[in-house]
This record gives sequence, structure tokens and C-alpha cells, in this order.
Amino acid sequence: MRILVVDNGGQWTHREWRVLRDLNVEVEIIPNKTPLTDIKADGLVLSGGAPRVGLDEEKMGLCGEYIDRSGVPVLGICAGHQFMASHLGGKAGPSKVPEFGKTMVTVDDEDDIFRGLPTEFVAWESHNDEVTLLPEGFVSMAHSDNCALQAMKHKEKPLYGLQFHPEVEHTDNGYEMFQAFVDICQAHKKA
Amino acid sequence: MFDAGKFVDEQVKTLRGDLKGRAIIAASGGVDSTVCAALVSRAIGDRLLAVYVDTGFMRKGETATVDGMLKRLGVNHIVVDASAEYFVALKGVIDPEKKRKIIGEKFIRVFEREAKKFGAECLVQGTIAPDWIESGGGLRDTIKSHHNVGGLPAEMNLRLVEPLRDLYKDEVRKVARALKIEVAEKQPFPGPALAIRVMGEPTPESVAIVREACSIVEEEIEKAASAGKMKLPWQYFAVLLPVKSVGVQGDIRAYGFTIAVRAVDSVDAMTAVYSKIPHDVLETISSRIANKMKDKVNRVVYDITNKPPATIEWE
Repeated sequence: MRILVVDNGGQWTHREWRVLRDLNVEVEIIPNKTPLTDIKADGLVLSGGAPRVGLDEEKMGLCGEYIDRSGVPVLGICAGHQFMASHLGGKAGPSKVPEFGKTMVTVDDEDDIFRGLPTEFVAWESHNDEVTLLPEGFVSMAHSDNCALQAMKHKEKPLYGLQFHPEVEHTDNGYEMFQAFVDICQAHKKA
Repeated sequence: MFDAGKFVDEQVKTLRGDLKGRAIIAASGGVDSTVCAALVSRAIGDRLLAVYVDTGFMRKGETATVDGMLKRLGVNHIVVDASAEYFVALKGVIDPEKKRKIIGEKFIRVFEREAKKFGAECLVQGTIAPDWIESGGGLRDTIKSHHNVGGLPAEMNLRLVEPLRDLYKDEVRKVARALKIEVAEKQPFPGPALAIRVMGEPTPESVAIVREACSIVEEEIEKAASAGKMKLPWQYFAVLLPVKSVGVQGDIRAYGFTIAVRAVDSVDAMTAVYSKIPHDVLETISSRIANKMKDKVNRVVYDITNKPPATIEWE
């Protein structure tokens, strides 16, 4: 199992690498300008980052190509999640109330990422922007008091987005969420 | 999962291949640089010299403690007193990024001098993941320039060797335990030391106030933790704020500075929650600080911010 973490300049990009490594996945961090032809992976994680969606779209490099044409499951986190939404025809923009640090998240749709986990959990956040309109074909999976779209997934394709950060120590059950994504990649590889 | 034993074997082998000549290591006495010193010393023995720099911003008794610890570790080492130089270099400097960059450059100049005397070409540093992550570069924003990464001068004559770059503190501690390092559980302390715990110009006077306050915070929290009243936090210290407020001390109006007490729980320093310290412990800390500092400090506050939005240190 080989998963690549696409670096969009996040403070916690290397944490995503560490969690996947701890789950015994072969993992590497790659710049977001890496040509698609150089990518050999069973899954991709699009990291968060300093770029503001809507203002710095070009700083998200080739993330759009990876979503459209990599053919493997993609998990967007924070800026990666917001970019996925806007790239696929939804909308992302400044949050009315940004969230930093500890936040309670409620699961609306258990589905694959949250299966078997508590439906209310502590998540760690760090965002000024958020997804304001789901793209066509996506459903919402979780919300918090100040952010309606904490998690989304495509109804058919293996595309997932999380606004909160499952990769940091203070988010409950983050390792389990990553394991669920690894399982999705495994199932997709077999299929 | 991270395997400390395997990490030690691999690193010693890599370092043996990489370091053909002599090397010096920047040794603060903290867990990162001490682990590094032990690893490199296993690889190249006496061709390593550990250099501890007393910047003048060290905590109470720190230089003597570290000197003893490095002796027991059995690594070649020297203590360089550069405190006079540092206070001059930071005269009038209040911007936190400027402080960090001046301190970072000064470290390198001291290391270059000592490397020349020892005949070394390489500088080993105990840089760990949060140091380069928070220092920024490329797409990544600079949160703070860690002295050993973002604070390095553009021009330097030493080749850097950083065996712990991909590790977080919890993993470094695992390596430290595997190597039986005595400071394995020591709380983190930033390289720029007390200079970044004074919000404002670090002068011998302002540093002396925060040094005393840090010492009281450490003593009281360690005492309460060992009495089972609380869990020992990940990091705990005092910060001197440039805010003055009105008080009354001995029936006399006081107009002194403020000390902020900070204590957090974390695993890797990338996220942190403030420690829920019992109020009676906070009260003892508050009284001791105000009494000891007389008219210089007449107000003590407790920082209740997590990371994010704050960072662990204030600068």
C-alpha cells in the first residue's frame, strides 16, 4: 500500500505522513507541482496549507489534475478539502466564524470514514475558509456549530474531504479515520 | 510504528559513512541535542566535540547542570560563555523574529569559531520536525523562525547534519529512552531561551525577572506533580509582559509589570491544550512571584489558550 501526501504548505502535512507511516503504509510527501505521470500511488492525500481558496488557487499546483485524472482515492484535508469542492463546481470562501483549535464535530452520515466511531467527537481545526456549497454528486458527512460542511464525500467516486484535521494528536480517533481511508484505497486497488 | 532501536542502528551506520572528518554539535542539554550527541558519538567517538553556548538567557543553574550532564554522558564537550556578546547584539531589539534571527546567526558565528579551533567541517544539530515546519519556506508560512533553521545566516562555513529532522519530540524521547539518556523526560526549552520569554528588550534586568519567575513556576509545578496533585505538564514556564498595572504592596501604590504563567499538555508540540492546574497551585505560584519580585511585578495571570490559535511559547 503506497499513499502519497501532496504538500500544499500545511503546518500538519508532515503529521499526515507520520500517521500513515505509523499505519505501516509506504508514504512520501510530494510537492503539489509533481507531474501526474511521476505519481505511482494507491491513494492521495491533499494536505492543508497557507493558500486561501479563491485568492491563491494557483498555489494549489496540480491538485486539480490529481482529483480529475489520478484514478485513485483522494482525501482532501482543510485547504485540500476546500479546493476539491471549488474545483468540482461547488463553492468555498471565508468562514463567517473561523475555527482554531478544539471544536466539537457531529457526524451526520457515518459512511466509510466514520464507520464505528462515536458520532460526536473532539476535532482540532485551523481554518479561515470553508466549503460553502457542495459540488454536484457530493453529500455532507459531518458538521460543527460554526461550520455546516466539516466532511463530504462523492456518492460514487472515492473522493473525500475533511475540514478538520484527523492527523493531529488532539483530534479523537484520527488514526481510525486514516485507517478507514487506507482500507478504501486497499479495496479500490483490488477492484 | 516508530522503532527506536532500529532508528539508532540505521542512524549510527549512516553517520559513520557520512562523517569522515571531525564534527561539532550544538548542545543545549535538552533531549534533542543530547540524543543527537549520543548518536554521533557512537558513530565517530572522539572526533565529535559538543559545544554548549551560555547565551546569558539560560535558566537558573542551567549551565552548571548541563555541564555535569554532558560529562556523565561521556561526550567531549566545552562550555562557551558568550553572554556579553548576546546582550550587546540584542540591545533595543523587541521584534520576536529579529530576536530569533540575531540569536540564530550569533550561534553560528560561535560554532564557526569553535569548529575552526577543533578542525571540524560539520555542524550537527538536533533539529526536529516542528523546527523546520514552523520556520516555513516555499508554500509554508513562517510561524516563527526557529534559531536552528529559519534563524541560520545565509552564509555559513559549516555543513549541517541533522539526524532527527523527521522526528517529533515523542519519538525523540523513545530514542532517548533506548539510549538511556538521563534527560529523556526533560521539558522542552527553546534555543533562544529566556530572550523570547521577555516580551520586549532582553536586558540583564528583564531576563533576571523572568528567570526567577520561571524557576518558581518549575519548582511549584514539579512539587505539585510529585505530590500527586496534578499531572506534570508537557511544558511550563513564565513570560514577562511589558504591561504595567496598578497594585498595592505594603500600603503603597505599586505600578509594576505582569507575569504570565503558561503550562500546556502536548505530544508533539504541533497541537497543545492548556493544563488544568489546580487553583491552589496557581495561587502559590502567584504569591511567590509577586513577593519575590517586590515592586517589579504586582500581577500574575494564567494563559488559557490552546495551540492553535496560540503557540506554546509567546514569541
